[in-house]
Amino acid sequence: MERNDIEKGGMSLIVRTIASILLPFILTFGIYVVIHGHLTPGGGFQGGVVLASAALVVLVSFGYRLAENMYKKYKTLYSPLEAFGGILFITAAAIGFSVAFFYNYLWTSRTLFGGTPGTLWSGGMLPIMNIAVGLKVATGFAGVLALFFIYTYRKSEGEKP
Amino acid sequence: MIPPLQYFIALFLIVAGIWTIMLKKNLIKILIGLSVADTGVNLLLITLAYRNAIGGAIPTAPIYTGYEKGMIMVSPLPQALVLTAIVIGVSVLALALAITLQIYRHYGTLNVEEIRRLRG
Amino acid sequence: MKENRRSLKIFGIVFMTILTLIMFLAFMPGIGVRPFGEISYRSVPTDDYYIEHGIEDVGAYNIVTTVVFDYRGYDTLGEATVLFTALTGAAALLLGGRHHGEK
Repeated sequence: MERNDIEKGGMSLIVRTIASILLPFILTFGIYVVIHGHLTPGGGFQGGVVLASAALVVLVSFGYRLAENMYKKYKTLYSPLEAFGGILFITAAAIGFSVAFFYNYLWTSRTLFGGTPGTLWSGGMLPIMNIAVGLKVATGFAGVLALFFIYTYRKSEGEKP
Repeated sequence: MIPPLQYFIALFLIVAGIWTIMLKKNLIKILIGLSVADTGVNLLLITLAYRNAIGGAIPTAPIYTGYEKGMIMVSPLPQALVLTAIVIGVSVLALALAITLQIYRHYGTLNVEEIRRLRG
Repeated sequence: MKENRRSLKIFGIVFMTILTLIMFLAFMPGIGVRPFGEISYRSVPTDDYYIEHGIEDVGAYNIVTTVVFDYRGYDTLGEATVLFTALTGAAALLLGGRHHGEK
């Protein structure tokens, strides 16, 4: 990051350094809450919100020029990720369609996620659904927050929004 | 006898939210009142899920941790419904804020009575 | 405008008083619909079934997650659809009209 980032909407050097140090811990905690949804309190929605708050920390402390560059570079990545989360959720629900719509096929036949209850590899289709919903919530909220930011700062600078 | 304290706090939040929606003229304040009323309704729904202690058992959260020797679990059904309601409240608030931004760009003011007078 | 605001305030006070009175009477321990903490015998069989047979049906320790994703999966599907629609609508509002001033 250059020296004159503070004129482009960013914050001072101390805030940027602390945000860079804290970022891996927030991401690890968010992924932990999403994956261990069937053992500890949490699940898909709560973990997705934690992951979106990591994106918000970067947005607030680094300014909107960085947000705009990142948005232009990764614009074709957010939409397919969110759609992939939704498609994975519906596919995981429609696998056991011969019995019922949300039939837990992977647990009653003990194939992939069928271990003893209480370990990580248990719970049938629950970890798959947790990961799908967490992906959907995280990318959706991060994208909308970035759009709010870019819209407000672009309007206040006088450009055409 | 009076009801327990949790009902009073949920009722106060709902009444404050509906009061703000009815009697304020700024659009942002109306949206804040909507969010507060949403929180009050979620709190009321969770309060209805409690179970008293039967015998000597202590009520605890509905999750198996290996330490439930003399404990009884509260009802897990309203908690699942409140989880859905919270996410829907946040989505509606995001869409309402995007609409408010476009209204401000088009009309130039956020006063509800003036927006009702100008036409296009 | 002043009479409109004053009659709205009076209507607001009356409405809030009636709401408070209804909630007060409904939750009072003596004459209420259901006292606080007591089990209502119409919903106890469902809750007891979820708590007892949650582990052997789904295989997870977290009972709330099994209710959200396995026993009541349709509600989660509807909620995911609402979330997707609202966020797409917000993104379309904030990005549209890019070439509004030019031709």
